[in-house]
Amino acid sequence: MEKYLDILSILILVSSFALMANKRIKSYINTFRIQAVLISIAAGIMGAQSYAIEKRLDIIIVCVLIVILKVYYIPKMLHKTYADIEYKVGKDFFFNIPVLIFACFALVVFSYYCISDIQGIDKGQLNIQIVNSVSVVMIGILFMISRKKAIGMIVGFLVIENGLFVTTLFATQGMPFIVDMGIFIDMITGIMIMGIMVFRINDKFDSIDINDMKSLKG
Amino acid sequence: MILVQRIIQISLILYVFSLFFPIFMMKNQKTANVGSNMLTAAAGLLGTAGSLLYLFYYDAKLTIINVPSSWSFIVINSEFDRLSAFFVLILSIVAFATAIYSIGYIGEYYGNRDTVLLNCLMSTFILSLFLVFTASNAIWFFIAWEAMSVISYFIVVFESENEENQKAGKLYIIMTLVGTAFLIINFMLMISYTGSFSMDMSSSSIPSGIKNLMFVFFLIGFGTKAGVVPLHIWLPQAHPAAPSNGSAFMSGVMIKTAVYGMIRFVLMYLGVEHTWWGITVMTVGMITVFVGISYAFVEKNIKKLLAYSSIENIGIIFIALGITFIGETKGDPTICALGLMAVLVHSFNHSLFKSGLFLGAGSIQYATHTKNMEELGGLAKKMPVSSVLFLGAALSISAVVPFNGFIGEWIAYQALIRNIVIGDINVDLVTMLSIAVLAFAGALALATFVKAYGISFLGLPRTEHSEYAKEVPKTMNAGIGLLVGLCLVFGILPMTLIRIADKIVEGIVGQTLIGGMSGKFFIATYPVRMGASSISPLTGVLILAVIGLIAVVVLKLAGGKTVERKYETWGCGYQSMNSRMQYTSGGYSKTLSIIFRFLFRPTRKLKQNGLYKYHPEEMEYVITTEPVFEKYLYEPLSRLTRGLSKVVKLKIQSGSIHAYLIYIFLTVLILMLYNRLA
Amino acid sequence: MRYIEYFLFQGIVLVMLAPLVNGIIGKIKAFSQKRQGPPFLQLYYDLHKLFKKQIVVSDVSTWIFKVTPMIVFTTALCAGMIVPVVTSFIPENFPGDIIFTIYLLALGRFFMMAGALDTGSTFGGMGSSREALISSLAEPSLLISVITVALISGTTSVSGMMLKMQTENTPLLQPVYVMLFLAILLVILMDTSRIPVDDPSTHLELTMVHEAMILEYSGRNLALMELGAAIKQLLLITLVVNLFLPNQLFIGTTGVALVVISLVMYIIKVIFVAVIIGLIEVSSVKFRFFSVPNIAALSLILSFLGFMQYFILGR
Repeated sequence: MEKYLDILSILILVSSFALMANKRIKSYINTFRIQAVLISIAAGIMGAQSYAIEKRLDIIIVCVLIVILKVYYIPKMLHKTYADIEYKVGKDFFFNIPVLIFACFALVVFSYYCISDIQGIDKGQLNIQIVNSVSVVMIGILFMISRKKAIGMIVGFLVIENGLFVTTLFATQGMPFIVDMGIFIDMITGIMIMGIMVFRINDKFDSIDINDMKSLKG
Repeated sequence: MILVQRIIQISLILYVFSLFFPIFMMKNQKTANVGSNMLTAAAGLLGTAGSLLYLFYYDAKLTIINVPSSWSFIVINSEFDRLSAFFVLILSIVAFATAIYSIGYIGEYYGNRDTVLLNCLMSTFILSLFLVFTASNAIWFFIAWEAMSVISYFIVVFESENEENQKAGKLYIIMTLVGTAFLIINFMLMISYTGSFSMDMSSSSIPSGIKNLMFVFFLIGFGTKAGVVPLHIWLPQAHPAAPSNGSAFMSGVMIKTAVYGMIRFVLMYLGVEHTWWGITVMTVGMITVFVGISYAFVEKNIKKLLAYSSIENIGIIFIALGITFIGETKGDPTICALGLMAVLVHSFNHSLFKSGLFLGAGSIQYATHTKNMEELGGLAKKMPVSSVLFLGAALSISAVVPFNGFIGEWIAYQALIRNIVIGDINVDLVTMLSIAVLAFAGALALATFVKAYGISFLGLPRTEHSEYAKEVPKTMNAGIGLLVGLCLVFGILPMTLIRIADKIVEGIVGQTLIGGMSGKFFIATYPVRMGASSISPLTGVLILAVIGLIAVVVLKLAGGKTVERKYETWGCGYQSMNSRMQYTSGGYSKTLSIIFRFLFRPTRKLKQNGLYKYHPEEMEYVITTEPVFEKYLYEPLSRLTRGLSKVVKLKIQSGSIHAYLIYIFLTVLILMLYNRLA
Repeated sequence: MRYIEYFLFQGIVLVMLAPLVNGIIGKIKAFSQKRQGPPFLQLYYDLHKLFKKQIVVSDVSTWIFKVTPMIVFTTALCAGMIVPVVTSFIPENFPGDIIFTIYLLALGRFFMMAGALDTGSTFGGMGSSREALISSLAEPSLLISVITVALISGTTSVSGMMLKMQTENTPLLQPVYVMLFLAILLVILMDTSRIPVDDPSTHLELTMVHEAMILEYSGRNLALMELGAAIKQLLLITLVVNLFLPNQLFIGTTGVALVVISLVMYIIKVIFVAVIIGLIEVSSVKFRFFSVPNIAALSLILSFLGFMQYFILGR
């Protein structure tokens, strides 16, 4: 069982690298969907384990919620938003891709250096899973920084949330149920508001390029 | 023992004769040239024989020259020990081949220039290199080092009416004297702490902090001579400026003196103490490899391409040297032995094929009078023998299988792999990055030499320079042929070279690697933890030949008789092919300069003349790359120095007598006060 | 004497099986476009036809042009001798080194690139220049992956590595091997000129790398070049398959039965990887040339991550 969780944690890391390497908006929304599938499998396995041992249902409920929201609903909404906006073809990211990929690798090494000193972490077993998951959070932040279009920022925010969820899942068998529910409701509300805002931005300014905000200075 | 001593002394005397012979024969240039070079060749042959005999049979130090003097610390004493003998072997082989080459090459200069001077300079240069390799105390080493630097400066500016050569010579002499200054500081530290210049004395009386400082200064001083990044800017200008036999020596042997110095002074004399020494040397080597090969690939001047490739190979040698240092600090003699063997074997192989390549470039220059690859092409049909020899040398440097470049790289990979087994995280990361850079450089070096060979020799001639080229004189081809033949021999039967290198490794590190190896042509390493890793180039060649034979037979049977027809190259249905439709050297490497634009910063300008924008009558396209190291590192430094000197000039040396009198008065007052207080 | 039997066995299997991989990939491409497509054995028929055709040689070229096809074929086959297809049929202590293999393939690549420049045509220079860049970007990733496996198994000999990996039960469930498998798969895409990097079925300037280098060859020279490229592809697939998908079945049988069963399992594994490559080809487009470093960077980072997972994180 542990081996499957190892593999899943490394595949989630690989999917965040693949997310960073994508150049087009549609393909990174699809990669995000694949990442959400992997997370739901991981949550499902942990949920089955905790049900069998302690008869707790909360992780399984969270897993179902992930499938409904992140695998099905949010990518569909993002696709619809993107299809409805007029877009201008242009480079979506600041630096070129190999530099970004090397930066992601540097982040993985860096999170290893920072985490390896914390007391209380069982070296070996949890170490891989926690380092991989924290790296996913960092890669999410880097993704938000490096994309110019607003949809990129939304996806980056979702990846950060993914990473946090996976970290707590692997480290402490999930957060308390209320906290999970709270995060979900925040996320749904946030996404819906951001989606509406993207429409309004496009209406007003005819583009969703966030870099144009610099022209508002002075 | 006496035999070897006499042989080496006779070879030295022959070098001195070859120095003076042309001076006596100044009237007749041809005799002077031929005689001098024959003497040098004979001296080289004797040197090879002497050092081989010494390496195979003897162990103790052997004094060659000993001139006692009344000062206790300046002693002229040249000795052979195994490390010196190895490098003298390299020197002698290159001297022999280059001397034979020069008999034909210097013929180009008859009547134009002073060939007597060139021959004298070359002989003196070889003599000074010999003295550097065999010096046994620091002061004599330093004198020989300075002599070598100054004589090579004269060789670089031999064709001095060319403006570029003058600038190259100036840059070269400044950089090498700055590097030597660091060496002087180290030697002075050496005598102030141990009281003697002899390199046999132990260095334990030098405190540890000073040893760290000495290591850094040795790295800078020897690094300037070797051409590591960022101290490399003189190399791509100086090596192309010198005449080709001089460049062969400089690139083949002179940069190895830095490697010899690092081994002798840091490994044997100081004794490596900290891991960060080895990690620094490896990092420096890694950056040098990357920068060197990237710049080599985009060059269009064939000798500059070879100079940058020398920088890359020095980087590989420094990576292996760093592994040796790390092995010494971690106390694992196998890693140390593997690393040192990689250093020695790769130095030897690099001297052979780099000299061959430079002499080959000299042949191209002799036949076509140009060094710019964009003006060459189609030389394989005009100079068939030279093209085969150049191909052989290019294959050797690309480290493909039956040639000797592969052996050095294979041992370097084994040393790198063994380095990870230790388990130190910093070492692991640096080693992994080195493996990645080495692999990248290997593939890019292959591409560079395909470009160098292909654009110069294959295809159609691009200008009249190459259209009217003729085959070069036989002695030139004989010299290069000797070197390339040795490359092939040492590639297929590498054990002789490894046995020789192993004796030196055993002497320095105390561990022999050949214990588990067997056979003449089968090299295998059986380090303690790894299982059998072995390669056998001879078996590879045999299998290739057998498969080839079987394939030819099968094809004859399956295909029957087929006719071969000659026709022109397919040009998409346009009229005939001309040489302008081929790829140019700049176009071949443009993609790399765009992908690595953080390093090259290319700019381009396109000018179109004509009435309509889409049908221009004339177009001009200029691509430039920015000289990154000069612009961001050296120009600020030189501006700072000039600014400081201006301040000193204007403020302190003001020209007024009264100011000078005040300076003298103040100095006297301060000295009196110091005497009272101290 | 075991050596001679081994070389014969290895040579025949490689030469016979290599064109089949191309056939499978072609069929998958055809099915995805709702066509029947060429038969599985198409490359065999092509090679047979090419052996009989007349050879046209350009009058600009030199002896390098004539020698290159033979060198490409013999180096590919010689390198193939070192990577065993069936681990139960290796001689004792077989000294085949992985670094030797990679540099043997480099010899073939040198002559292929030089032969392309020999004819003085623009296509040759273009193919040569692009191949220079792609191969130098693909090499570091390949070497780091194989050196990581070599460190884990304690030897750089290929048969040693394969024998050691056979003792692992399910290597695809360990993070190290998953990363290395993905990294080498991306390197296979780059080295054998498959769709994200190069399009092997068109002759347009925009999309040719390998095809541009072999454009001028005809007759039996072209046959040798194609066969050499196919053998190199099969060699890399064999490396991946035998290192990361070992089979533990039927370990009790011995002798000829073991060899036959292992051979059948090997063919099934090769077909499996060929299908994966075909699916990747079908589902992506050929990238712009300046996007190829993205794939190379991803592959390099995957192999670095694999190394890090094992050596630094412990598994």
